[in-house]
Amino acid sequence: MSNIIETEGLSKQYGNVYRVKDVDLSVPEGAIYGFLGPNGAGKSTTLKMILGLAKPTAGEIAVFGKQVNSKNRLENLKNVGSLIESPSYYGHLTGEENLRIFQTLRGVPKQNIDEVLKIVRLENQKNKKVSQYSLGMKQRLGLASALLGYPKLLILDEPTNGLDPAGIQEMRELIQSLPQKFGMTVVVSSHLLSEIDQLATRVGIIREGELVYQDSLTKLHQYSKQHLAVRTMNNEVTKSFLSQNGVAWEAQDDYLIIPQIKDSMMAEISKVLGQNNIGLVRIEERKKSLEDIFLELTGTAVSL
Amino acid sequence: MKAAIRMEVLKTRGRKIWLVVAVMMAVQLLWAGWTISNKDADDLIQGWMFFLYQFPMLNCIIMPVIAAVVASRLSDVEHQGQTFKLLETIIPANRIFDAKFIWGSIYMLGAALGQLAIMIGMGFALHFGGPVPWGALAGYLFFTVAVSLTIYAFQQVVSMLVPNQMVPMTLGLVGGFIGLFSMFFPQGFQKLILWSYYGVLMQVGMNWDEATRAVDFYWTAIDWSGFGLILVFFGLVYGIGRVLFVRREV
Repeated sequence: MSNIIETEGLSKQYGNVYRVKDVDLSVPEGAIYGFLGPNGAGKSTTLKMILGLAKPTAGEIAVFGKQVNSKNRLENLKNVGSLIESPSYYGHLTGEENLRIFQTLRGVPKQNIDEVLKIVRLENQKNKKVSQYSLGMKQRLGLASALLGYPKLLILDEPTNGLDPAGIQEMRELIQSLPQKFGMTVVVSSHLLSEIDQLATRVGIIREGELVYQDSLTKLHQYSKQHLAVRTMNNEVTKSFLSQNGVAWEAQDDYLIIPQIKDSMMAEISKVLGQNNIGLVRIEERKKSLEDIFLELTGTAVSL
Repeated sequence: MKAAIRMEVLKTRGRKIWLVVAVMMAVQLLWAGWTISNKDADDLIQGWMFFLYQFPMLNCIIMPVIAAVVASRLSDVEHQGQTFKLLETIIPANRIFDAKFIWGSIYMLGAALGQLAIMIGMGFALHFGGPVPWGALAGYLFFTVAVSLTIYAFQQVVSMLVPNQMVPMTLGLVGGFIGLFSMFFPQGFQKLILWSYYGVLMQVGMNWDEATRAVDFYWTAIDWSGFGLILVFFGLVYGIGRVLFVRREV
């Protein structure tokens, strides 16, 4: 599968601070690529660099297999639709007039306006001034603008920001339907793990400007290793006993966290503990949640 | 470029920009009517020259206000709706800048033509003396447009670069007042200020006899070096402003 977007060593420096550093992004064709990271991690800056709205300090960007430079930028972007940070609109004009502006400038057929209005379910609101739209409707209009030319690549930066749960659900369904219906590749950024988890097929996690994970979501789930949590009447003695037997442990509240071990080994441990009059009161199987992994990777809370 | 200009026209739908121009023209008409109302038949012999002296003076305030409001109204729609980040993925930033300038220039041209119509209309209605100075009136239109477009270019640059439109509006008003008062300063100083070029390129001078308190107008030679300078200013303001707009990151 070829990559629609590929960046190499992509960096952006403001003053002495790197907002984005050495990011090697690879977005396969047909994927819904979830670009995940806390607020201020560098997601928008990265996406803006791909769209040519910000100039990289260093690194290369290839879109549709072509190196992007200032000369071929707009030619390359003909097949790209975008919604960055918040929807772009003219509040004093109607939804349809807004789309007419972008349709004319893009040089795509007029009929696309009605089609995209249907896709985002705004056909009944098209004659209303956009200033009277709700935030959810504005976001859908933004998505309609991005879809006008039926691009091969859609870049959506936090498209559910500020939406209520129903709006989030609606937007998610819309985005999910795009690769199947129109063969689009979608890059969607978010700071919400749960959102990306329900949406993406591949994920990139960015922290303080650095890409700390990039692979399939399935693989990310595989990181959720199982552990055993053991509680005894005397954890201090148990610790030294575990160490003597080469079992790694980590104290966590009243528990000792140990890796998955064979049943025979666990049986041996409980036997020895019993012989030493140390009561074994709890053995629990624990699994790292996706949130824990995200926390480890980004160093911040989950819904940040 | 055609499509970009047509879209500028669509964007201004309902923004009532022509109303601003019309209101300013009404102010100019009232001013002209008021200043000419106390003139007797002898004064009206120099009626054309009187207008060709008065209008550029008033333009130091009127045209910068129109330029500031028009540029602000045209740019504000982009800032409010955060549309630059979408537009610049569709068309080059320099085309956005040029299209906006061309459409804004139409308003400035409309205002200058409106003034010319007021002058000619009132001149005929009040039977100003002597033949109609068509050449000087054409010169007035030409120089007014040249200076106004330079000021408009300045206003557009600031309005497009600074989201808070209070900044360009204030600059426009302050510039207009400086331009008006600079008429009392030496020409060397006047020529450093964009807004004073309505005065620099005036084709009529005025003598005021302190003893008789009589006012006499006379034709002056056109200051072509001043005209050359305003063209240079235009090139600098437009060129630098356009580069700044294109290079900035959205």
